[in-house]
Amino acid sequence: MGKIERVLSLIREGERNPAEIAGKLGMSREEVEGIIKILESMGYVERIEKGSGACETCPLRSICPGSCVRKTATVYRVTKKSFSLKQDHI
Amino acid sequence: MAMKVVALAGNPNVGKTTVFNALTGMRQHVGNWPGVTVEKKEGVFEYEGQRFLVVDLPGTYSLTAHSVDELVARNFLLNSGPDVVVNVVDATALMRNLFLTMEILEMGVTNVVLALNKMDLAEKRGIRIDVKKLETLLGIPVVPLNAKAGIGVNDLKKRIYEMANGRIKTTPIVPKYEPDIEREITHIEGALSGTGLVTKYSPRWLAVKLLQRDDEVMKLVLRHLGKEKLDEVMTHIGEIEAKYGRAMDLIIAGQKYEFVDSLMHRFIRYTSKESSNLTDQLDRILVHPVYGFFALMLVFYAMFRFVFAVGLPIQGWLAAEFSDFGGWLAPHIASGALRGLLVDGIIGGVGAVLSFFPLVFLLFFVLAVLEDVGYMARVAVLMEKIMRKFGLPGKSVISLILGFGCNVPAVMATRTLEDERDRLVTMFVNPFIPCSARLSVISFLAGAFFKGNQALVAVSIYALAIVVALFSAWLISHFVIRGEESPFVIELPEYLLPGWKTLLLHSWERSKEFVKKAGTIILIGSIFIWYLSNYPAAIGTGKSYAERLGHIFAPYMGLMGLDWRAAVSLLFGIIAKENVISTYSIIYGVGGGEEALRGAMAGLLSPLQAYVLGVVTTLYIPCIATIGAIRAESNWKWAAFSTAYMITVASAIGILIWHIGLFLGL
Repeated sequence: MGKIERVLSLIREGERNPAEIAGKLGMSREEVEGIIKILESMGYVERIEKGSGACETCPLRSICPGSCVRKTATVYRVTKKSFSLKQDHI
Repeated sequence: MAMKVVALAGNPNVGKTTVFNALTGMRQHVGNWPGVTVEKKEGVFEYEGQRFLVVDLPGTYSLTAHSVDELVARNFLLNSGPDVVVNVVDATALMRNLFLTMEILEMGVTNVVLALNKMDLAEKRGIRIDVKKLETLLGIPVVPLNAKAGIGVNDLKKRIYEMANGRIKTTPIVPKYEPDIEREITHIEGALSGTGLVTKYSPRWLAVKLLQRDDEVMKLVLRHLGKEKLDEVMTHIGEIEAKYGRAMDLIIAGQKYEFVDSLMHRFIRYTSKESSNLTDQLDRILVHPVYGFFALMLVFYAMFRFVFAVGLPIQGWLAAEFSDFGGWLAPHIASGALRGLLVDGIIGGVGAVLSFFPLVFLLFFVLAVLEDVGYMARVAVLMEKIMRKFGLPGKSVISLILGFGCNVPAVMATRTLEDERDRLVTMFVNPFIPCSARLSVISFLAGAFFKGNQALVAVSIYALAIVVALFSAWLISHFVIRGEESPFVIELPEYLLPGWKTLLLHSWERSKEFVKKAGTIILIGSIFIWYLSNYPAAIGTGKSYAERLGHIFAPYMGLMGLDWRAAVSLLFGIIAKENVISTYSIIYGVGGGEEALRGAMAGLLSPLQAYVLGVVTTLYIPCIATIGAIRAESNWKWAAFSTAYMITVASAIGILIWHIGLFLGL
């Protein structure tokens, strides 16, 4: 099993932090994040749009002092395509 | 002579646009790719008297048919036959960049030049790349670049010119897979031979894409091979997939990645430890399960120290200005009622709130700095672990962080949680997170009663609110059935110095909404509160509506050491939390602004009572807009339950702090 599959496997097992995935697999954090991007392009993980998106649809947009909250963090969630794989094989 | 076409391909954020600009200068045209809303940029440059049309392809990480960007880039490379393909790669992140290079070369594209950008950064990070070896390994020309500084651009133009005119011969490498897969590729290539497809596309690429069950390629092959033959090929693929027990696209991507990995050590070496860049060094502390929390408390403490140290003097000045204005205006108004409304009601109420603008601006400024530096992503990672332990879904961390700005969009952000139970629990605890409106009240009380320790008091109230939120999540998660949480991962961006101009503009954009709110909700609320406080009789007579209302709750408030004034303030605070200050201002009749209000309140409240008021204001009930948002995102029952729960918790904690304080003789 290669690095791409091992990263996906750890994310599916509940690992949230790329730095910890990197530590477990002996790679750099940047490499793990690169692999997450590749997995995204293949449809195995998808980016969750949060933050300002909620504000844009908010009815208080025009008067709310907390509006326009910007990027806090980019979150990728595992897609249904990933769940179609058998976990024990990854 | 027709212009030669040069396609720029590469990952996002590798400096492709910088290379494009460096090549074409100002001669650019921006439009859309046909049929899609993906931006298409074209530009022209001249070299040795020959003109070249440069087409900037969308940035992609691979060339699957999964997204529109990938499809646009892939179709251009396959069908438009550019004379030269410049693959721009980031020299500091070669693994993922060369993955795309392999995808391009696998397509059978031979006229590729690799533009090795950000060489200066690679040098700084101790990454040494043997360009000659890389060139030999890949079988294509490699040009080292620092496009930002324009270094290497002329060399790139020269290579493009030579390749476009057939002066460079390439022998591109293609990724090799395990024998089973290679056998299958050969088998499919055999099945495709003789069809018109192989004259246009690389048979190996078609075979690999069929193995990966690429929809577009399957449609293409179906047209040329017919259903029966395609089914036969796909059955064969199904058999090999069954043998591996995993999806073939993942296996192929994995092996392609390993292939790149096997090349890396042959042309790259690190003069400093590969992973020891500044981001990783900082993360060892900032996302550490123990040190990370100390760092978080320190960051928040420093944030409040800064906000109060810089903001309070400006706020004092602003409050004095409102006070002077009220003092100047009063003698000019003959009517007592109108004078009371304008000076005590509007200037007193709205002015008291508006004077907090500098604090709100500074808070948003510091939060924007933390966001842009990349620290908030670390806070999300840090909090996520704790929240899971307390029964909150990890993904709710982003929604809760939004709550520091305003609870309404934070409640609405729970929509992105798939599970109903997760949504309910997250929106249940969200109003406990102190929004920026509550900052006005906290900073007012901290400034008035705890001089010198404002930051510590503010941090303690914030910390208490977070603890209450976590405890509530733990409690409620025992009663609401939890669904399966889909796994996710939080990206940790590199720490970056923020752009100060953008930060200032953004902080202004966010905080000017505070002024708008003061001019709308707070203004109307102040007029209303002033009316209730002065009719049918003036406040202090015991006959005004406000006093009568306050006295109903006075015995209950007495349990936590507060009086009827606090009851009235908290009641109006439900409309908007800032009203807690404006109500006090109107009740005390201090049209003289916030400084006069501090003086008036200091004589009637002890620091312990002020602390209890701060805590209760933070915890007691979400504002009406947040209740509305909870109702809209769930139902009335849940909104009512949340509200009742918050009142109960706030009262219990208020009573507890008051009595502990009395016991300790505070």
